[in-house]
Amino acid sequence: MDPNQIQAPIENYANPKTCLFHVLFKGAALAFYILSALFFNSFVIIFVVTVLLAALDFWVVKNVSGRILVGLRWWNEINDLGESVWKFESLDQESLSRMNKKDSWLFWWTLYLAAAAWFILGVFSLIRFQADYLLVVGVCLSLNVANIIGFTKCKKDAKKQFQQFASQTIASRFQSTVQSAFTLV
Amino acid sequence: MSQGDTVPLHPSSQSDIDEIENLINESIQSGPGTVLAARPPSPTRPSIPVSSSPFMQSNLPPLPPSSSAQKVTPVPVPPPLPVVSNSSNSQGGSQGIGASGFGSPPNTLTEPVWDTVKRDLSRIVSNLKLVVFPNPYREDPGKALRDWDLWGPFFFIVFLGLTLSWSASVKKSEVFAVAFALLAAGAVILTLNVLLLGGHIIFFQSLSLLGYCLFPLDVGAVICMLKDNVILKMVVVSVTLAWSSWAAYPFMSSAVNPRRKALALYPVFLMYVSVGFLIIAIN
Repeated sequence: MDPNQIQAPIENYANPKTCLFHVLFKGAALAFYILSALFFNSFVIIFVVTVLLAALDFWVVKNVSGRILVGLRWWNEINDLGESVWKFESLDQESLSRMNKKDSWLFWWTLYLAAAAWFILGVFSLIRFQADYLLVVGVCLSLNVANIIGFTKCKKDAKKQFQQFASQTIASRFQSTVQSAFTLV
Repeated sequence: MSQGDTVPLHPSSQSDIDEIENLINESIQSGPGTVLAARPPSPTRPSIPVSSSPFMQSNLPPLPPSSSAQKVTPVPVPPPLPVVSNSSNSQGGSQGIGASGFGSPPNTLTEPVWDTVKRDLSRIVSNLKLVVFPNPYREDPGKALRDWDLWGPFFFIVFLGLTLSWSASVKKSEVFAVAFALLAAGAVILTLNVLLLGGHIIFFQSLSLLGYCLFPLDVGAVICMLKDNVILKMVVVSVTLAWSSWAAYPFMSSAVNPRRKALALYPVFLMYVSVGFLIIAIN
């Protein structure tokens, strides 16, 4: 056998099915919106199907692919005082660093690209003065942007948590070392 | 004082040394896992019915491990449905279910997808029942719609738009677009109205509420679509209109200062009346 073939394989997608779904609904919404003008005359169908696909995509990204591909999750709660609180959740640091790089690259880049694509489509419909299509684009864009903001905040929160935890551990170990040093002396 | 004894370690100092050793060992072991940590699922791990949401917001209690051990099950809003075991579990029992211990609180990161779907669906149903049907928790509106979600309202608005569009014999697209835009923009504006009147309401909670209160009008629109008699339509629409307003009343009125109740409620009523007219007028 050729020794070159035995080298470590290039890292592949660890969760191909999830990646597929992550991209599937986004792509379907965009494709349907762009191509529908060729096939359907009815605005209603275009609107409902596109917004439905965008909503499904929002749900999938928020609940499934966010969890599995990058180990992050965000949501909003209303606490006892009636205030709204944003909550973030993330895997611990070792699991995070074990996440597949390709997966997370795909996750973030498709999020950004989809939002950019909707924005461009929105500009087009604005130029053509089509207010109803602008409505569709507006809804889809806001769903995408909501996900982007949520996950970005969640990632920052995870980093902050890790730093806090690291400094806490160092502080507590230092403390116990000092304690033991003093009592044994 | 004893003489001739070899001096044993004073009992308290022996235990001190033990304590210190324990501390050192603990700090080494408690390393990973004391922070919001979730391990990827092991094969035998039971699925954890914790709530979370899509558009839907979860009421998962806060996760810091220091509180997970102390947090107890009594929760302000037990959902009134005995059937919906998922949401009741998620309220507080989730802290205990499946948790392998103090250091690894249960969380929504490692649950199977099907659980998430089921949980969200059950949340829609429970929210609907809370808002639209009489139940003992209506009088405490701040707590009743705690788990707001936007899926329910989305479906109801789209359904109403589709029903109206179907009933219309001409200009179907315009009817749908107008209905959707009216309802969506109306909900946003009504919420802003309450906020500007100095009321205490959370934006998404109010949107969610106004969406759920459309359910009676949806039912009315379906009936009107099936039977084309004008008198019947007027009766059905007035009944469902009254039902919708009744559903929205406690939430809206409790959010504002009592002297401004009418100012907050009147626009809501107006919006539902206009939707009612739309239903009657479509032929």
